[in-house]
Amino acid sequence: MAEPAIDTNVIKQRLAALKGGRFKTWLQLCAHCGYCADSCFFYQAHDKDPKYMPAYKVIQTLGKLYKTNGEVSKEELEKMASIAWGDCTACRRCSMYCPFGIDIAVMIAATRAILCSQGLAPDALMDAVKNYWEFGNQMAVTEEDLSETLEWMAEETEEEMPGLTIPFEKEGADMMYTINAREAKYYPQDIAEAAMIFYAAGENYTFPKMGWDDTNLAMFAGEMKCAAHVVKLCYDNAERLGVNRIGVTE
Amino acid sequence: MYEFVTGPLAWIAFGIFIIGMIVKVISVIRLTSQKDKVVFNHWSWGWSFRSIYRWLIPFGSRSMREKPGLTIGVFVFHICLLAVPIFLLGHSIMWDERWGISWWSFSEMTTDYMTLLLIAAALFLLIRRIVLPEVKIVTTAYDYLLLAIAAAPFITGYMAYHQWFDYKTMLIIHILCGEIMLIAIPFTKLSHMILFFFTRAHIGSEFGQRRGAVTF
Ligand code: HEM
Ligand code: SF4
Ligand code: SF4
Repeated sequence: MAEPAIDTNVIKQRLAALKGGRFKTWLQLCAHCGYCADSCFFYQAHDKDPKYMPAYKVIQTLGKLYKTNGEVSKEELEKMASIAWGDCTACRRCSMYCPFGIDIAVMIAATRAILCSQGLAPDALMDAVKNYWEFGNQMAVTEEDLSETLEWMAEETEEEMPGLTIPFEKEGADMMYTINAREAKYYPQDIAEAAMIFYAAGENYTFPKMGWDDTNLAMFAGEMKCAAHVVKLCYDNAERLGVNRIGVTE
Repeated sequence: MYEFVTGPLAWIAFGIFIIGMIVKVISVIRLTSQKDKVVFNHWSWGWSFRSIYRWLIPFGSRSMREKPGLTIGVFVFHICLLAVPIFLLGHSIMWDERWGISWWSFSEMTTDYMTLLLIAAALFLLIRRIVLPEVKIVTTAYDYLLLAIAAAPFITGYMAYHQWFDYKTMLIIHILCGEIMLIAIPFTKLSHMILFFFTRAHIGSEFGQRRGAVTF
């Protein structure tokens, strides 16, 4: 975890911005009834330790932030970070089990965004956000890295599929193909396999030089500006290349 | 005193209750359209009603089926809570005398038993708050207070009807408790009696419409 000072004003702004019809009603309405408890696998996996009960997790995080209007110590924020990032996956199962449909997961996600604004997020996530801004993908893969990887993978398939090439920056293709950044970084075979299928199917497609990472970890971090940047990169490049469709990796 | 609690104070209580609820509903809708437009983007009347219906009938949702004890307790509590005051012969006679409005009512024995059922259900809810760790950890004094506010009119009503202690005093206490409950509803989470329909409609739309659930 990073170590910046806490900016209470930012927390306050975020809390105020979030307090719309949903958050206000949810926070007010929770009957503290316990219907949601058993729906959470964290609770089940910890032998029904009440600390993992969904409503309690919100009370300890977002609830506390609202109660104190963001005036919390660094230690308290760190405790909240451990709950919001570590004790809930924001899977939304409990939202379905609550009689009022109180959306615990959405509130935990909002808490994460607030924590992220204070530098309290898993390092990998913070790095990903930085990389999206700098490289357009979460794993800092450069344009050259990608084009070289594509050439390399085309060579690798030579024996099986002679004549296969992997189109890069081809204008007017029918489809722009996008991947998970880890395919370019760690699992290039996945690219080769997709290329073989496209080749066999006679697909007219291309990789773009930018906007090919279809993950959006910035969204998980609640960094909405960056999340929009990632989506926009993808659409802008599809338009630039004049394709009809955007393909998304499995 | 009796004249006061059944006269001006009753007017004030009903007024605060009705106007309070209207204000509450309007402010929730306004706040939502200002700050939570996303709610309307995915709104679906079909999924809203389906979700509300499923949660209004006993054991209509999986969550309720997984906690049968609590479900029975909550339904007994709520059904009695709503039905007893409305269909109580004594109340009906009062409305008739004052306003000339009358409607069907339960026999006195029925409401007597229902009141006992409600008190039992309230006790059950109280005990599970103390006993179950996952409920205890989220419980605050406020929860006990609300349970008390909801149950008090029934406990005191039962005592008045059976003429325990001084009837006249008990009756005044009973009426006061009822009025406190009415006034409390718009200002506390007892307002769930209206807001429940909004939050359920929203989550029904979320999981049905937005997530593209299959309709069977
Ligand atoms: C149509 C109207 C209503 C609906 C749909 C409704 C629904 C619910 C639901 C879903 C719960 C949560 C379940 C639980 O706590 O176990 C609840 C709890 C509760 N309701 Fe209602 N309710 C309604 C009216 C009322 C009214 C009018 C009152 C009292 C003035 C009331 C008092 C309570 C109390 C005290 C609880 C908490 C019980 C506990 O301690 O666990 N409800 N209600
Ligand atoms: S959203 Fe979080 S609290 Fe709710 S069930 Fe999933 S992991 Fe548990
Ligand atoms: S089920 Fe809903 S109302 Fe009950 S404690 Fe959980 S979040 Fe609160």
